[in-house]
Amino acid sequence: MTSVRVFFIGGWTSYRALFGWLSPWILIPTFIIEPVFQILFFAYVGRDAGVGDDSFFLVGNAIQFASIPCLFAMGNTIGGERYAQTLGLLLVSPARRVPLFLGRALPVIVNGLLCSLIALGLGAAILRVSIPLDSLPLLALVVAVSSFACTGLGLVAAALALRVRETAVLSNLVMGVLLIFCGVNVALSALPGWMAAVGRVLPLTHGIEAARALVSGAAWSNVRGLVVDEAVIGLGYLVIGLAMLKWFEVESRRSASLDRA
Amino acid sequence: MAVIEVDDLTRSYRAASGIWRRSSKVIEAVKGISFEVERGELFGLLGPNGAGKTTTIKMLITLLLPTGGHARVLGQDVVKDAREVRRRVGYVFGGDRGLYERLSGLDNLKYFAELYGVPRRDQGPRIGELLELVKLDGRERERVEGYSRGMRQRLHIARGLLHKPEVLFLDEPSIGIDPVGARELRQTVASLVEGGTTVLLTTHYMFEADELCDRIAVIAGGEIVARGTPAELKRGVSGGSVLEVEVFGSAEDSMATVRSLPGVTSVVVEDRGQAQVLVVRVDTGAEVTQAVLATLGGVPVGRVATREPTLEDAYVELVETGVPA
Repeated sequence: MTSVRVFFIGGWTSYRALFGWLSPWILIPTFIIEPVFQILFFAYVGRDAGVGDDSFFLVGNAIQFASIPCLFAMGNTIGGERYAQTLGLLLVSPARRVPLFLGRALPVIVNGLLCSLIALGLGAAILRVSIPLDSLPLLALVVAVSSFACTGLGLVAAALALRVRETAVLSNLVMGVLLIFCGVNVALSALPGWMAAVGRVLPLTHGIEAARALVSGAAWSNVRGLVVDEAVIGLGYLVIGLAMLKWFEVESRRSASLDRA
Repeated sequence: MAVIEVDDLTRSYRAASGIWRRSSKVIEAVKGISFEVERGELFGLLGPNGAGKTTTIKMLITLLLPTGGHARVLGQDVVKDAREVRRRVGYVFGGDRGLYERLSGLDNLKYFAELYGVPRRDQGPRIGELLELVKLDGRERERVEGYSRGMRQRLHIARGLLHKPEVLFLDEPSIGIDPVGARELRQTVASLVEGGTTVLLTTHYMFEADELCDRIAVIAGGEIVARGTPAELKRGVSGGSVLEVEVFGSAEDSMATVRSLPGVTSVVVEDRGQAQVLVVRVDTGAEVTQAVLATLGGVPVGRVATREPTLEDAYVELVETGVPA
């Protein structure tokens, strides 16, 4: 019961405590205006260059924007603790680490989902892209799975915060990698082979492909494999992130890295 | 019965410097210290900055692994039984960080209550009594970012007590707090000990240790240089007296000469407002007042007084000589 409460209540409290974007002055530009700018930018570049259609850029960029909360908020679940000097207190608590850190992922996944769905809706309205109404529930599921997968990668970044002081720089770099390698604005088939191969083991790639198919009218059976792949990739990163957290926690006790890194 | 057993505890770490040409050196923060704390005792660990006090506490609360020796808290090994130790001890450190600024005091307490597995039905009453104990009742719904330093420190204490720890580690809890706040804090600590909590306190405020502690270990350079009750420590260096000379000018120039006078055991200079005070420890029977005044030359002199040594004098002498006990 304690672990369940640490997962849900602890996770939500930690999100409120550490995610410093909850002020409307930061939240609205970051989660609503900026994604729309990015969607419009790439859609108009695509129109001008005569490549892709608006729907391609809308779906890719809307889902890629889930990475903002998923990478930065997740990284901040440890980095923010370090800054507030609460990390030591957290680590000397007897709370089990898996619910403690996974609980922190749950609000972040919801945040990523909402961020992408709002961007998708606003972008579709502005660009007049029609999304089949009956695809919306499945589309929301795909976006949720993509947010989950990206949060798994965010947990890896969070674990690194046990070893290094600054994670925002890394999160920015990873965001750039996702933008280029995941088929957000350039289809995987148009990327060099090695880049496409990297893209296939990153979160978002399969989710974006599935979402594009759904918007084009594909049935669930056609995208199920992609969604499963996306979930498995997310699960893989989550496991890696938890293993890294455990390792770095032991290492921090051994090498005093919390004080010196 | 000892609830904290420290045996030859050592902690060293590697400190690196440079970016391209990395160089590193091993720093021995704690060098084989041993002590025991009995149940219900308030034990003080005194020492200057960098003496190894916080490193020792961090090993005892399982945040750091020792590089040598052993430590047991409540019969549990701090390395092998870390989770059990964590469940039964509390940790409070000084300063105004270590709290979630964007949350209210109440939410901070609720969060840590969850982490320490305080049952939901007990959380409300427990938090209520702690808020009353630390005099934050009525302010608990305000965000911590608006709290004064004293309020934050009191909230730290409440946080550390949420799960009713049997042993409480207080690492310089009164640092930066105003005198009234510090006095209230000392009262709170004293009442905890009366209630049966074992407390290990680190501080470099001598009067605080003198007022609160049953026993004290003085640590300097990672080694324990003295241990005993406050009275024993004072007695250990109380052969003699202390001469204080208020000087309105630079007293440092005279220190070497005064130190070389027969009968003088130690000399320190303290800044007190506009003046400096030359604090001279003198052997029993030695009379050095005139000789000390003569070394000051034309520097204006204010009050001159002789008194009995205090715990602070004992501490200064112990830390300066640094001979392990």
